[in-house]
Amino acid sequence: MVKITYIEASGAEHVIDVMPGLSIMEGAVKNNVPGILADCGGACACGTCRVFVDEAWRERTGKPSDMEEAMLELHDDPSPGQRLSCQIRAVENLNGLVVRMPKSQF
Amino acid sequence: MQSVTDLALPHLPIEEPAFAADPMPYIEAARRQHPWLAKCNGGYVVHGYQAIKDLLYMDDRLSASSDDIIEIMGAKGTRWGKFIQEMVLAKSGPEHARLRGSIAAAFTPRNVNRYRPLMQEVVSRLLDEWAPKGTFNFAEFASYFPITVLCRIIGASPAAIPNLRHALETLGLAYSMDRSLMPELEAAYNQAWGFADQLVIERQTRGSSGEDLLDVMIAAKAAGQLNEQELRDMLVFLFVAGFDTSKNALTLIMHSMLRHPEHWVRCAEDQVFCDKVVEEQFRHTATTSIPRTLAEDVSYGDIRFPTGSMLIFAVPMSGRDPTAFSDPMMFQPERISANRHMAFGRGMHMCLGQHLARAQIGEGVHLMAQRITKPRLVGEVTWRRFPGVWGISSLPIAFEPNAHLKASAVHANS
Ligand code: HEM
Ligand code: FES
Repeated sequence: MVKITYIEASGAEHVIDVMPGLSIMEGAVKNNVPGILADCGGACACGTCRVFVDEAWRERTGKPSDMEEAMLELHDDPSPGQRLSCQIRAVENLNGLVVRMPKSQF
Repeated sequence: MQSVTDLALPHLPIEEPAFAADPMPYIEAARRQHPWLAKCNGGYVVHGYQAIKDLLYMDDRLSASSDDIIEIMGAKGTRWGKFIQEMVLAKSGPEHARLRGSIAAAFTPRNVNRYRPLMQEVVSRLLDEWAPKGTFNFAEFASYFPITVLCRIIGASPAAIPNLRHALETLGLAYSMDRSLMPELEAAYNQAWGFADQLVIERQTRGSSGEDLLDVMIAAKAAGQLNEQELRDMLVFLFVAGFDTSKNALTLIMHSMLRHPEHWVRCAEDQVFCDKVVEEQFRHTATTSIPRTLAEDVSYGDIRFPTGSMLIFAVPMSGRDPTAFSDPMMFQPERISANRHMAFGRGMHMCLGQHLARAQIGEGVHLMAQRITKPRLVGEVTWRRFPGVWGISSLPIAFEPNAHLKASAVHANS
């Protein structure tokens, strides 16, 4: 299992063991973590699964693809670490990952 | 756990004109018997917000109801029937991913934003032509906007628009469940397909002129992601998917603005406010109901639905669910809600054109509000059938044409 900490905008923390191979978005949705809508089910099409990756983890989560970057333009938000959580896989070396969720996904 | 077949559920006559003209009395009565579920001819209507949100997300257990629709319409063996079976909306799994993936990159917000000047130009030209009349059926006017934008994005000649528009008006009735329309649907599909075919042949002979949507699609074919037939059908599908939906959304916005002239005035001034009006309209009256057939048994709440049940997700009613939105019938662009409307669906088939649709409707409303001032209703409002794409078919208005564009909009005409 890959331990992921999801932090709501209010500060509420959810520490979840996510099955390797699932996306960070699926880890949240399947465990009823509030704050991630994921309307399109992970197709990189809706932009409602946005998270901010904590600085310490940004190198390991990597850079968004062109498609993901083009989707993120929806939000016009310059905050660093912004990613779509459906585009990050829960893999072993992300054990302990911390992501923060925006106040609203839309 | 109860089987849905044993439940005493209210019946909703969703195919009847009276329901389309004002569904609320029916829905309110139905809610008193069951909070989110009713029966209809041929299946069940899911109308509660949370139930739609949860059930529509179960993509692995649902299939598009193409076979049922082909059956109901008597479309077996027709070209239109084959289109309904092969279109991206009907597919699942890797085939769906391949078809959708072949064009998805063209519909990102970044790509769509590049088209904003084009959208402004198209709507300004239409307003130059239509606004001096001072009175028209707004639904007819609005119908030229999305189709012209898509033709421009795809590099099609504007000369094709009148015939194509006629075909799309017919194809939009696909889910009306009215079998007598079959010959017209077949003819309309053949016409739209012919348009797509000619477009592809012309582009292939002439060669690519840049990187428009058609170039992207032809490249997807060259890369083996789409075959010749799929390429043409995808073009037809994009026109069908974007036409009635966008035109009806625009017409519904005008309908709401007739009751809220203060919002319309503000739309002329303020693009950000326009976008809020657009979103609130999607919440208040969405256009598209979504049919699905269960590929396996599904249990939800304390109800078991057997394999093969047809569920109509009445998305247009989901935004009116008082358990999800306070005072749902009030039109409040500044509304703050923890829930989001589902006008673009949910799950793997969620609208691919949503960012394009939002951009063009937002840009359109902003410029229309500047040129169509003090609109008022001057005739009867008529409604389309509820199943499929709901909305207003006739919205006769009169207004004061305003030739003076706001400075920010002038560049669009140059
Ligand atoms: C206000 C305008 C629009 C609305 C309300 C709307 C609504 C929807 C809905 C509800 C679905 C899901 C249907 C289902 O799950 O069965 C959908 C799918 C789709 N829409 Fe839209 N749509 C709009 C505009 C557009 C535009 C402008 C385009 C493109 C030009 C477009 C392209 C598509 C495509 C390709 C799909 C199928 C996606 C798939 O099967 O994966 N739509 N739309
Ligand atoms: S779930 Fe839709 S973009 Fe991630």
